Amino acid sequence: MIALLGLALGIVAGLLFEPTVPVGLQPYLPIAVIAALDALFGGLRARLDGIFDDKVFVVSFLSNVVLAALIVFLGDQLGVGSQLSTAVVVVLGIRIFSNAAAIRRHLFKA
Amino acid sequence: MTGQGGSAPQTGRYSAVSMSLLTSLLARPLDPGYEAAARRRAAEGPTRRSLASTIALVLIAVLLGALTVRAAVTLRAPQPAVIQARAVLEAEVTERSREIAEAQDRIAELDAEVQALQTTALEVSDPELLARLARDDLVAGAVALTGPGVRITVADAPGAQDGDAERRVHDSDLRVVVNGLWAAGAEAVSVNGIRVSTRTAVRSAGQAVLVDLVPLSGPYVIEAIGDPDRLPTRFAGTAARDHLALLRGVYDIPWSIDPVASLTLPAAAAPTLERATVLTKEDR
Repeated sequence: MIALLGLALGIVAGLLFEPTVPVGLQPYLPIAVIAALDALFGGLRARLDGIFDDKVFVVSFLSNVVLAALIVFLGDQLGVGSQLSTAVVVVLGIRIFSNAAAIRRHLFKA
Repeated sequence: MTGQGGSAPQTGRYSAVSMSLLTSLLARPLDPGYEAAARRRAAEGPTRRSLASTIALVLIAVLLGALTVRAAVTLRAPQPAVIQARAVLEAEVTERSREIAEAQDRIAELDAEVQALQTTALEVSDPELLARLARDDLVAGAVALTGPGVRITVADAPGAQDGDAERRVHDSDLRVVVNGLWAAGAEAVSVNGIRVSTRTAVRSAGQAVLVDLVPLSGPYVIEAIGDPDRLPTRFAGTAARDHLALLRGVYDIPWSIDPVASLTLPAAAAPTLERATVLTKEDR
């Protein structure tokens, strides 16, 4: 729970202080945001499943974002950046979708 | 993406690793870490996390939240290249506008000089010609004028910015008003400070209204010098007044007409000389 509070605090801080993202990181932002979304949905589902864990949430969030950016970075270096981005988006997209479906089942019992 | 610690479902039917990967992805989208942690908790009972690790957790969470929201905001903003190109164009437009204003000031200065020289030269030699020139200048809009008159303000209707071209003030609307003012006996007319002479076009280019090739934007202020008693009443009888009423009734375009005690209209842009003949005695 405390991790979610921290996350909310960070979101508010990010909106208030408007730090700029370094230009070098710009290509990895879309993937990083998708990965963050995946971690968020995963956390929400775990919470509804009753097995939410602060540490797992934070670690999965961090590693999701870093790993996704890393994969795209590697792909860029090898000249298959856009294809790997697609792959990451597909995998994360499927996960987000099924987690969202699980959340829906929890909330609406349908 | 993390921790393959959780047990993948054993379907038994798919032996290929890639297939089991897909199956686990589809069947168990939740990070296996959550289940592993839950199992651990169940086995070991609730454990207190140390203060240091809690603080680290919160700090990382704050950082992640801030980073994610910044990334999202950055992605939503227009691309820097576009902004840059826009800024360059804007700077250029401002610069050119300033140059035009400077050149116009210089023109006005030189015009005044020419006028002064003309006057001193003709005062003695040909006062009759001087009077004629003064009259022609007045009619042609070549000199600034001050006098009583009316001011008509027309603005785009609310909602015109949403791309609804019907709710904008069009060049034709301004043309009708300007012509109506001439018909009502105006001696001089200007639109947003640009004097309308016999050679001035009121037309449009794209969405902008051009008066004498200068792009204008609303609200449009049309000023006319004329007989303060007769100009408003005669204008009320013109087709232009009906047109304005139509604009308000159908398109919600707001406008107002007010008498003004003293208006100063600038001189029109100096006309280019296209034809010249030597005056004979009969012409005078």
